[in-house]
Amino acid sequence: MPAFLTALNPGWLMILAGVVAIFLPMRRVRQGITIAAPLLGIALLVMADQNVNHLTASVMGLDLVLYRVDGLSFVFGLAFLLAALLNSIYAWHTDNRLQDGMALAYAGAAIAAAFSADLMTLFIFWEITAVTSVFMVLAAGTRAAYFASMRYLAIQVLSGVLLLAGACYVYNNTGSLGMKAFVSLREPGAMLIFIALGIKAAFPFMHNWLQDSYPKASVVGAVVLSAFTTKLAVYAFIRMFPGQDALIWIGAVMTVFPVFFAVIENDLRKVLAYSLNNQVGFMICAIGLGSAGVGNALALNGATAHAFVHIIYKGLLFMSMGAVLYRTGTTKASELGGLYRSMPWTALFCIIGAMSISAFPLFSGFVAKSLTMSAVSHEGLTVVWLMLLFASAGVMEHSGIKIPYFAFFGHDSGRRVKEAPFNMLLAMGMGAFICIAVGIPAIVPGLGYEWLYNLLPYREEAMSYQPFTFDHILTQMQLLVLATFAFIVLKRFGLYPPEKPGTILDTDWAYRKIGFGLAQWMGTVWGKVGPAMTAVFLGISSRAYERIEAAFSPRGELARGALTGAMAIWTAALLGLVLLLAFVTVG
Amino acid sequence: MSNDTPETRDKSGRFLSRAAEKAHDLHTVSDEGIHPMAKVLFGWTEAKNIGAIMFWGVGALGAALIVLDVFIQRHEYFGFANWTGFYGLYGFACFTFVVLMGWPLGNLLRRGENYYGDAGGPPADVDPEMPLPPESAQPTYEGDD
Repeated sequence: MPAFLTALNPGWLMILAGVVAIFLPMRRVRQGITIAAPLLGIALLVMADQNVNHLTASVMGLDLVLYRVDGLSFVFGLAFLLAALLNSIYAWHTDNRLQDGMALAYAGAAIAAAFSADLMTLFIFWEITAVTSVFMVLAAGTRAAYFASMRYLAIQVLSGVLLLAGACYVYNNTGSLGMKAFVSLREPGAMLIFIALGIKAAFPFMHNWLQDSYPKASVVGAVVLSAFTTKLAVYAFIRMFPGQDALIWIGAVMTVFPVFFAVIENDLRKVLAYSLNNQVGFMICAIGLGSAGVGNALALNGATAHAFVHIIYKGLLFMSMGAVLYRTGTTKASELGGLYRSMPWTALFCIIGAMSISAFPLFSGFVAKSLTMSAVSHEGLTVVWLMLLFASAGVMEHSGIKIPYFAFFGHDSGRRVKEAPFNMLLAMGMGAFICIAVGIPAIVPGLGYEWLYNLLPYREEAMSYQPFTFDHILTQMQLLVLATFAFIVLKRFGLYPPEKPGTILDTDWAYRKIGFGLAQWMGTVWGKVGPAMTAVFLGISSRAYERIEAAFSPRGELARGALTGAMAIWTAALLGLVLLLAFVTVG
Repeated sequence: MSNDTPETRDKSGRFLSRAAEKAHDLHTVSDEGIHPMAKVLFGWTEAKNIGAIMFWGVGALGAALIVLDVFIQRHEYFGFANWTGFYGLYGFACFTFVVLMGWPLGNLLRRGENYYGDAGGPPADVDPEMPLPPESAQPTYEGDD
């Protein structure tokens, strides 16, 4: 392969193709590029040697590693490229230059970030993902999307700024920008970087940007958004914070709390956004296991495998809800139902995505989540394990059952629409294929789940792990079947809360109501106080001017004749006083 | 098969045209707006008493999985996870808890759709030929009469 091709980061290729696409008015040519770029990227990645610095640079004395592939970044890069390919196919029916180009550049930035091996390069692509992704929200063109996109951008840029500050501390302390695992959060810069990644990974209380913006994005935009940002953060956590105890609990809480929001949320794309949070929680929890700075091989494999399969099945679920939104104009559960009559293929693909995320045996979620669950139990973390198991039942509730049931089955809304466009079905079909292909046993050695396990960073540990044991299948089936039975019982006895329209308050209430209200109040106060203060100042200064003028102007008090006469007397009196004083002091 | 098919067509031709007609049928939406694949893939959901069938069917499957557990010696890291049917009962309990929590949480956290003042229509890239929603799909609010 020519040298320049081996040094070409697939992410850079995608960004370049994205910039070209923005200026390309010929629709089909542009869309051809958006499909060809990820394909070419996959080819470049597969051919690239691992653990070699393919491209380095020295800028202002900083040594940057711009392209390096290793076992970990390979999996994330491949998943991002596959997601970008499916997204481009999914967007074939649209004609939006900005969205096409920005989606490609956004994917490219995430890929380039995953293949960079120093903090400064990571920071640059970190910020590019923020700036390009905001167009996915803006593409919706609604007022709500505009405001959400501004909040989104502010929070994403804040994450970038924290990352930069952390990188500066690290450089100041060690003299190197190389990305390495932190042993303690007390190391200089570690906490800043931890929070920066935490924002992007949507940690509890930092998660609102996700539920705020993704459901307001355009049909295609939400699909694109679901793949990259949070998983890039997961990648960076694996790289820099393996084995940080704090992550275990943060991850466990992340898996549990969205479950409660998802059950009452009416907008199915928002349910998926909460579900995304819950899934990333599993990965974060896995990263925290093991000793600080090293991690637990089984768990890190689990987090990586989970990220890979999650990118595909969450994309698939967002695609199916996007298809529903495209045809019906809504994803509100209270306005949907019975759509399998019009959109049976979409329903089928949605169910495959739902079964994958619920980790049914023979679907991709099962082979990935098993690694994490096993690692947690091996470490003897009883409470965490019970929390993750609780969250697994929760996933079954909101993503496994709620999403397909309320959109495609349940009460017939009477909507009779067309099936999704062919390109959408094709993208969904490809996603569904990957979900099953990766989830089945390795009947042919090297295929099925072994294909994925072979790619994982700790390959030997992965290949020695058996997901398809009788115990394992039995226990997982018990959990899922009895959870499904609970749904049927609750529905049958009218105990399942009805889907109602409304806004569900989350912690962003603090800044969207109190914070915004406070800012508005201060604005109003300033609007009234400002002019009043100006008037007071003007009054005082004009009065002072009048007084000065009255005293000193040619027609003023001091210029009058009476005073001139009095001056001689005053001069004489003062002279007398001075003489008296002189006399007294000398005497 | 349509009536204007020539009589003289050979067998393979007739087979192909029949296959093509079948394929055509499978993506031709009926007058009622029902996709033909809906019947093939999900026709079973329209069975009479599907609720009862699902209730007893899934219930029996769950029971069978727990009964199977009696005969299996599992090797769990946590002692309590070895209890017969632990996973099934835990899954049932968690699911029920989450759903039942939906009642009080819904009352506590649900506000009007325009609470933040930004409720609005769908995004710009929805189907331009979208049909109007039927009456039954219009949102209904409690107290609407």
